[in-house]
Amino acid sequence: MGGTHPHVCRIGGNQMSSFIVNEKCNGCLACVRNCPNRALDYRDHAGKRVLMHNMGLCARCGQCWRVCPEQAVEFRHLLESPWQEVVALGLTHCRVCGEPVCTFDYGKKVSEKLRMPAEALCPAHRREKGLRAWSRIRPASPPSPGGAK
Amino acid sequence: MIVGNLKPVEEIAASVAGLKNVQVVGCGSCVSVCLSGGDREARQLADELSLPLYYPGGPPPAFAVSGIVRQCEKDLVKTYLTLPPETDAVVSLACGAGVQTLADLFSPLPVFPALNTTFLGALDEPGIWREKCHGCGDCMLSFTGSICPVARCAKSLFNGPCGGSQGGRCEVDPEIPCAWALIYYRLKSQNRLDLLQKLNPPRDWRPAGNTGPRSRIRTGIAGSPGDAPAPSSQTS
Repeated sequence: MGGTHPHVCRIGGNQMSSFIVNEKCNGCLACVRNCPNRALDYRDHAGKRVLMHNMGLCARCGQCWRVCPEQAVEFRHLLESPWQEVVALGLTHCRVCGEPVCTFDYGKKVSEKLRMPAEALCPAHRREKGLRAWSRIRPASPPSPGGAK
Repeated sequence: MIVGNLKPVEEIAASVAGLKNVQVVGCGSCVSVCLSGGDREARQLADELSLPLYYPGGPPPAFAVSGIVRQCEKDLVKTYLTLPPETDAVVSLACGAGVQTLADLFSPLPVFPALNTTFLGALDEPGIWREKCHGCGDCMLSFTGSICPVARCAKSLFNGPCGGSQGGRCEVDPEIPCAWALIYYRLKSQNRLDLLQKLNPPRDWRPAGNTGPRSRIRTGIAGSPGDAPAPSSQTS
């Protein structure tokens, strides 16, 4: 229940939903009565019939789409729903090249578990640092057989 | 859920060798949850199948990847899964039901299975799925403490345990718990051991599919038998 129909008002927050019905919806409730998981419900209030969808209950079975006599359920949105940002966390960057390494909180957790500060280095520069350290401590190369003669 | 295992890549590659354009299609249902046929696995398989080492006789096909939430529903697939026109064949990571649905819909395009559909099972521990059900069509879990002897007894015995049960383990493989030992202890914990006094008669296996493919008909929903025709060509 939404879209541009003059008797229909778009419900606030519906833009975030993946369950979309177009202007053909006439509120017959075929979808509500046939939803196997009871993920659809409705409320008649203040002169309006409001169709409600619960994504936590929805099995994306397509039954609403199948039974709708008006072809109002735009099931594609349940198959190709947009990404939603759920959390934003601060990043630690490689101190050499600036590439993101991990979140600040994760780095802190790792440091606590290792009981040493986690160095802000990307994998490439961490490897480079290890090789430099190895070149300083590796044993000197034995003299070649030719040189011994 | 339906549990499947990926076939050897060599076997899949052999089925598509010599073709030019192959669509690898994942399924977002059971095989996605059991980590064998979802979108991630479809992409991994396409990468693996693209390696020239599998095609000594010529170049590897070009692989594209797509998926749909369920491959086993004809109307859903027909409406929402489209294949590029140049597709020579499909490799499906669905169970056998999904593979056959795609093959029916895209006939005469060949549809090759990428999985061996293995069993109806449950996730017992992270990464471990175990068989629980044979879909025998006449569930007897009410009498066996909700432990299925058809699927979980190696001999599918209806009156057990057999003489091969040792220390709660099956003689077929000591790694397998004896289903009838499990049933005994479950019923004992429920104070329902009297159920084991009853002799279960030989089973009628017709509901298990022994008279041919089974079907289920549900009336009373739109498009079902006796109802008005379904709006089968929706494109929303």
